[in-house]
Amino acid sequence: MILRTPPPRKRRADSQPPEDINNNNAQSPSSNRELLVYEDLPVPEYSHDHSIPITSDQMLCTYQCRQMVKSEFFDALSSAEKQVHDYQSKFGALNEDLSNAEAERKKFREKFFNAEQELAAAKGREQMLQEQLRKEVDFSQEQLRKQIHSFSELEVKFQKEMDLRQKAESSAAKAEEKASLLEEKLSTLSESIDREKNRLQNELLQMRSESKLSVSRISADLERMECKATNAEKESALLREQLEELKKRLDKCMQEKYELEKKSSIRSPEVPSQDSNLLLKHLQEELRNYESEVREARKLKASHEDIELLKEKLYEEKSRRERTELDLLKLSDLQVNVKRLEGELSTWKSVVREIPGVSSADDILPKFAALQKEVVDSMMRASDAQACMKEIQVSLDAAILDKQNAETEAAMAKERAESYKAENKQLESVLGLITEERDRLKNVLKLLKERTSLEGGTESVSGTIVQELEASLAKKENYVTELENSLLEKKEINSRQQNEIMLLNERLANEARRVKMLEREGDRLRSEISLLESKLGHGDFSSTNTKVLRMVNTLAVDNEAKQTIEALQNELQKTKEKLQAVEELKKQSSDAGTHVDSYIAGKIKQLKEQIATLEKREERYKTVFAERISVFRRACCELFGYKIVMDDHQRPDGIPVTRFTLHSIYALSDDEKLQFEYESGNTNIVVNDYTLQPEISRQVDIFIRKMNSIPAFTANLTVESFNKRTLS
Amino acid sequence: MASKTATKDIITLRGSAAIVSEFFGYAANSILYNRGVYPEESFARVKKYGLPMLLTQDEGVKSFISNLTSQLSEWLEAGKLQRVVLVIMSKATGEVLERWNFSIETDSEVVEKGVSREKSDKEIMREIQAIMRQIASSITYLPCLDEPCIFDVLVYTDKDCAVPFTWVESDPKLIANPQMVKLHSFDTKIHKVDTLVSYKNDEWDEA
Repeated sequence: MILRTPPPRKRRADSQPPEDINNNNAQSPSSNRELLVYEDLPVPEYSHDHSIPITSDQMLCTYQCRQMVKSEFFDALSSAEKQVHDYQSKFGALNEDLSNAEAERKKFREKFFNAEQELAAAKGREQMLQEQLRKEVDFSQEQLRKQIHSFSELEVKFQKEMDLRQKAESSAAKAEEKASLLEEKLSTLSESIDREKNRLQNELLQMRSESKLSVSRISADLERMECKATNAEKESALLREQLEELKKRLDKCMQEKYELEKKSSIRSPEVPSQDSNLLLKHLQEELRNYESEVREARKLKASHEDIELLKEKLYEEKSRRERTELDLLKLSDLQVNVKRLEGELSTWKSVVREIPGVSSADDILPKFAALQKEVVDSMMRASDAQACMKEIQVSLDAAILDKQNAETEAAMAKERAESYKAENKQLESVLGLITEERDRLKNVLKLLKERTSLEGGTESVSGTIVQELEASLAKKENYVTELENSLLEKKEINSRQQNEIMLLNERLANEARRVKMLEREGDRLRSEISLLESKLGHGDFSSTNTKVLRMVNTLAVDNEAKQTIEALQNELQKTKEKLQAVEELKKQSSDAGTHVDSYIAGKIKQLKEQIATLEKREERYKTVFAERISVFRRACCELFGYKIVMDDHQRPDGIPVTRFTLHSIYALSDDEKLQFEYESGNTNIVVNDYTLQPEISRQVDIFIRKMNSIPAFTANLTVESFNKRTLS
Repeated sequence: MASKTATKDIITLRGSAAIVSEFFGYAANSILYNRGVYPEESFARVKKYGLPMLLTQDEGVKSFISNLTSQLSEWLEAGKLQRVVLVIMSKATGEVLERWNFSIETDSEVVEKGVSREKSDKEIMREIQAIMRQIASSITYLPCLDEPCIFDVLVYTDKDCAVPFTWVESDPKLIANPQMVKLHSFDTKIHKVDTLVSYKNDEWDEA
């Protein structure tokens, strides 16, 4: 542009007042152009338009191109105005942009704050989760340690049990060996016992033969003695007879003697007395002889009695011998039993010694109880371990879920960070655009400033606007710098967040590793649980809280019963056969009898014991029955007034009959008794001396024959005999 | 979701006990048929659990199983039953050859407080059907029972449980070193039944 002279100051004052002129000019420069004549313009007073002279003076040229310059100026002005307008609009737009940017910034800031809050919350949650995880992991590790410890303890226990079992097995083997040794000893002992038995039996036989011999000898002696005795008796009888005869003779002689004496006294008493004296002497000698014979006979009688006594003694001795023999047999059995029992006792003692912590047989039961308790405890522990496992699994699942949540959150945070980055980039691009615009505007402003500096006071109007624009620009710049700062801060925060995310990722990786470890542990424990479950599935159970019931199966019972009956019958037959064989063997030889095996002996012993107990029971029953029946009889006697005696006997035709004999307690004599026969439900009175008495027989006719009532008869009789007793 | 909630049914303790005891009845019949304990012709076909099931017509066995199920339901309602075992033994030697083990876990809260649970009948039936299928298919791997066999029923109950007069205490009739096969389980949400069959090791395998 051609600007040669500065505009005059007064024109500025002129140009100031009406704005509408400007507007008019701005609105219709072309219409003014049409009205103006180039030649009339030199006059400065031309005042219908003040704005025109400004440019006209400027553009006034001597070459008469004023109009053209004016139009150009107008064009330039209008364009500048337009530009100003544009700038204003742009400024407005920029302001709007700025407000938008501010709003956006606010939004971003809010978003940023939200993000920060979310981040803090996420961090908090993550920390919480981490703590929880850590706690859970610690807890699970502790539990694992405990479980491992308990497992090791259980293993140790198991090894101990195994050792014990081995010891027990070895002890069993030893015991078996001992048993075999003992069996050998037993066999040798049994052999020796057999030998002893044989010897004893031989001795017994010898003794028997000896005793037989002695018995025969004694019996021969006895017979001889008996014979002697009989002979002596006979002799004594003869002698007695002779004695009697002699007595008679003596009497006769005495009589004769008396007679003779009488005669001699009458005659000569000396001569015949001598004869008689001789006779007397003879007779006295004979008498003495007879007396000695009689004494001998008496001795013989005494000896005979002695022999009988000896015989009785012999029988007694024989019975005693038999008893001793039986006792001897029993003794041998008892010795064998004692030895066997001693052997068992010693084995038991050794077994007791080999069981640890057991000093006597009484300790075995508590030991077993303790072992059972241990088993139950281990089962409980296993169940506890299972429960722990389940808890761990649950916590593991929770941890996995938490991990997944954390991962998703981390992914979301990453996404957010990326979105933030993208937004940052967008903001940066927006900022770049804004700075570009700002630079452009600055350039434009500079240009404008240049122009205004060129144009001077004419642009005082736009100066303020420019100043405002500049201020706003400065503000904008401030905003931009603030935004940049905030962007930097955001970037820093982002980088921090990224670092944190990295850390979290590492932690996550660590946690994942731990989770894997826990999973492995879980698998191991699961396998153990499956082992325990298999044990359970096998059917094991704890006897403390479970019992097994079986439904009585009548379907199988019949078959089982039949089978058992058959088996028992078979066994019975076998044992019978065995018994027969044994008896035969016994019969065949007494030696063979000794070879009765211990099994049968034991059985016989058992059966004998059973018999003994049964006999005892029978005895007891008998005594009880006797007691009861005596009570009953006494009560009957007291209540009905009759002592009742019952006895069974058979009639001549062989029919069994029970006879009841009733004695009244008021009876005056023992003969007052009533007899009844009871035969298959019928009771009949038996006729005896008492009932044949006319009074009684009348009563029998009335009460029994006619009225057919024995109780009435007995009651009546009781009353009558009572009356008799009391009245008499 | 809608269909799931629609098919859920309320299950009471009594109902659950009835389901489980009925299951035991059918399972016992199925085992007796499939293992050939009773002759094939003594069984009649009925439809149950969506499957053709076989029920014994032998009056003795019938009454035995009905008595068993009624007693089991009583115990189940009291929550005293821990396990039911059907034992198959050799008739000649009495040796235990197979143990069909049904372990029962009872929800103690239901027994104590009398609350009810929810589970669809259809689902329970499906689970039982799976077990019945497994019982039927067990003949493929269980060793052949080539001798006359008898069966017995054992129950594991709580210690404080009163013993009815048709029941006696017994030993558990275990098998030494058994082979075990775990079958499916079913759950009424009140009673959970785990099925397991253990059987005597076949000598043929070890040879």
